[in-house]
Amino acid sequence: MLAYVLRRFVVIIPTLIVVSVVTFAIIQLPPGDFFTTLQAEVAETGGGQDKEVIKKLQEVYGLDKPVYVQYLKWVAGFPRLDFGYSLEWSAPVWDVIVSKLAYTVFLGGLSLLFMVVVSIPIGIYSATHQYSVGDHLLSMVGFFGLCLPGFLLALVWMFLGIIILRIDVGGTMSREMVNAPWSMAKLLDYLNHLWPAVVVLGLASTAQLQRITRSNLLDVLGQQHITTARAKGLKERKVISKYAMRMAINPLISVMALEIPKIVGASTLVGIVMMLPTLGPIFLRALRSQDMYLAGTILLFTTLILMLSNLLADIALAWADPRIVYT
Amino acid sequence: MAKKILSRRSFLKSAAISAIGIVAAGCQAKVVEKVVKETVIKEVEKVVKETVVVAGTPEVVEKVVKEVVEKEKIVEVAKVSTRQAPMLQEMVKAGELPPLEARLPLEPLVVEPVESVGKYGGTWYRGWRGIKDFHCYGRLVYEPMLRWPRDPADPVQPGLAKSWEWSDGGKALTLHLRKGLKWSDGAPFTVDDIIFWWEAIEIDENISPAPHTEWVVAGEPMKLERVDDTTITLKFAAPNGLAETVGLAFHGNQWPLGFERFGFFAPRHYLEQFHPKYNTGATYELFEEKAFDYNTERPSMMPWVITTWETGADHMLATRNPYYWKVDVEGNQLPYIDEVYFYLVEDNPAINILAIAGKIDMQNRGIEFAQITVYQENAEAGGYHLYLWSRAEASSPTFFPNQSYPDPKYRALMQDLKFRQALSLAIDRDLINEICYLGQAIPRSITVVRDSALFQPDIEDYYAQYDPDAGKTLLDEVGLPVGADGMRTFADGSPLELIVETQASGAELDGIELVAENWRALGLEVTVKTMIRDLYWPRACGNEVMIGTWGTDRGLVPMIDPIYQFPFDERSWMAPSFGIWYKTMGKDGEEPMPELKELMDLYDEYRVTADPDDQLDIAKKIVRLSTERLNVIETVGMMPSLTVVKNNFHNVQEHHTSDWLIMTPGTMDPCHFWME
Repeated sequence: MLAYVLRRFVVIIPTLIVVSVVTFAIIQLPPGDFFTTLQAEVAETGGGQDKEVIKKLQEVYGLDKPVYVQYLKWVAGFPRLDFGYSLEWSAPVWDVIVSKLAYTVFLGGLSLLFMVVVSIPIGIYSATHQYSVGDHLLSMVGFFGLCLPGFLLALVWMFLGIIILRIDVGGTMSREMVNAPWSMAKLLDYLNHLWPAVVVLGLASTAQLQRITRSNLLDVLGQQHITTARAKGLKERKVISKYAMRMAINPLISVMALEIPKIVGASTLVGIVMMLPTLGPIFLRALRSQDMYLAGTILLFTTLILMLSNLLADIALAWADPRIVYT
Repeated sequence: MAKKILSRRSFLKSAAISAIGIVAAGCQAKVVEKVVKETVIKEVEKVVKETVVVAGTPEVVEKVVKEVVEKEKIVEVAKVSTRQAPMLQEMVKAGELPPLEARLPLEPLVVEPVESVGKYGGTWYRGWRGIKDFHCYGRLVYEPMLRWPRDPADPVQPGLAKSWEWSDGGKALTLHLRKGLKWSDGAPFTVDDIIFWWEAIEIDENISPAPHTEWVVAGEPMKLERVDDTTITLKFAAPNGLAETVGLAFHGNQWPLGFERFGFFAPRHYLEQFHPKYNTGATYELFEEKAFDYNTERPSMMPWVITTWETGADHMLATRNPYYWKVDVEGNQLPYIDEVYFYLVEDNPAINILAIAGKIDMQNRGIEFAQITVYQENAEAGGYHLYLWSRAEASSPTFFPNQSYPDPKYRALMQDLKFRQALSLAIDRDLINEICYLGQAIPRSITVVRDSALFQPDIEDYYAQYDPDAGKTLLDEVGLPVGADGMRTFADGSPLELIVETQASGAELDGIELVAENWRALGLEVTVKTMIRDLYWPRACGNEVMIGTWGTDRGLVPMIDPIYQFPFDERSWMAPSFGIWYKTMGKDGEEPMPELKELMDLYDEYRVTADPDDQLDIAKKIVRLSTERLNVIETVGMMPSLTVVKNNFHNVQEHHTSDWLIMTPGTMDPCHFWME
């Protein structure tokens, strides 16, 4: 098992190298670079820089060098946790992303938790009460969540909050609270901004997980060992939790691992709409302004999160099901 | 017990500090007009430490005995001026800041109120799109050497310099700075800060590839002559007609003004240590970083200095400058508003959401006119009202038939005035106005806006009447026969296709499509190609576009950057190649034909005319010629620019022509905006 985990870790490294090359190449694809984009953007709002100024800046920041030199310069810093310099933020990339990365993982983790806590009980209920009114109702809600993309939910929430309810939505807290010292009121305010984001991010996957729990459980519930357990007079609760769920949980874990990328992806758009400090907004900004080291590093870390979550799912599977053997 | 000792000690400490503070305030009393002698009777807790050796143990115990002593002391207490913000009064009382009289210059700039004298306090919330949206902050702190006037008809006004005079027939300009100006850290602001900018930044090739053109007259960079701490003379090889406007009012800020990289002064006392010329250990990268506007340590002359800005933060905060050098008509030091808070958002829609929710106190930047109905519906609930300023955009969309297009057949066509006249007459401007701008714009073809000093009403709608039949006749005269399919060809029968390229979207793109439809009605084959800005910009500047589009902004003071008046440089898409020729003084690019050269000669003359009246005449002539030659084909312009103002926010002008060249809303002195 340990050897397996170690091996999986080692495999991550070449994957990351390949990913870094590909991402860097993709980022270089659009014409121009940070400074030409800057020039056009400044020009659009009325300003404008001289061609010679641009050339000077390109020289200072090494953007006039061939692509592979720029790539090697970027990669060479990795062992020192130096991911290059963000031209837009005029700061090391790591400083720019570290707090956002933490918030993304935090928010993603909470959404995952929300997903599990909500979808599994509902799934069990739907399976044990198949074709009941409750099953239909919950399935309907589930399908609703499944077909509504997260950013749309976020937009609806923003609209409700701003136009109808007239409460402070968006961001991590109200503007009055940002500079206030921590207090109960500030914590409440913070939580009030947190839960909508968690729900919005978690809801899409919740529906899927709920449907999968339902169908898996239905499969298992028809099997003979369940009938035997019931025949022997075991309590229904015990039959479900101890026998049926344990068999139904394997596909759930795999699916959850697949949901993590979705959450990370959705957090980009949701983060932009709800003005959250996730990686999303700065990622989009970096792509638009061709701040290549920043964009590349964010892509790299997103990939890393995905690979780690897959690894965790595999480990969790082994832990949950003793029948799985790793070699 | 231990805690108690500590608290008494700290009490004593603070008592001592405040006593020192009072004495310190007393010491500074010299500069204060009024000194009041007060007798202060203070009850002080005296703590006496007794070391008691407890018998039998080797321990030494500190025992504290409390005694109350009455003390009488006479101190001189400075009366703190109330003509400054309460937060500064507190700091003066605490001795953390010199009194107001010592901070203000001898002749502070007096700001005439738009509406009323204000009250101190408040936080001004704004939406901000991040670092590159520097202007969101930069235009609130428009503090140049000379200022653009609030009324565009007025001449340039005093700024950091209280007066200036020309001598030697326009070849020498002497600036008199206000005496006693101070940087935000309290260091004196002198002409050395100007000389430092010139020597360490403007003519240092490691920072600036070349000095800005307004400082290079007749091929010679200007020379600076230091007269005394507050007087400096700029000497030019020939009369300089751009110094006042371009050099001192537009570029006259603290270097580098965000990403614009222009200025006229920089804090020598702070930056010297980071410049390789003055400190061999420094690098140019470090210098750029320290000189940059987002460096919170950098001293500035602005009403609010950036105090909170760190990488990855979700907002930026700018707080009042205690050494700010302007007062209101009653002598109260400005700014009124304590701090400006910038929400960091991703894009304009986010700014609009904040504004509609009433979370923005006053903003014009990023507020979308297209959302006006939503704004109106929510005005009451959001507690704001709307001002419709006018944009200094002579027209949008504007078409740029490229007179230096590489293909000779098309080039000849674009250069034909009759062809351009036909294109202009074919446009149904009223329809564009209705469809794209809710009828709020003005159909026109002059290259400046009405508020501009260069405006000439008789040519406002020159060839702007909707007359497609006259257009067809003109095209027949040009020699573009109609083929069997009803489409026009070149005289030799070869196919003719006009290609319009654009990066526009939304209303502007709708306008372009409408114009294309109008031109098709003349029998012209028209293709509209849309692309992202990053593709469009280099193509247009690279002389690759047959008919480009853009909005013709800069319509208030166009001579600052006359790119839409004649081929000025590669951004003049009516003929980029000729523009490069003009910019490089004939070294690169192609030589234009005499009609365009005439405009170039006029601008050359403008540049060396120091007399404002003569200059105005030349500028008007340039505008007239550029309009009559239809170098750019304009549609509708002066569209409203929506401004959101909270109901408790004052001193914002209701009528204004907004333009980045005059740093809107900088000319209405944001330092005297105030909030109830």
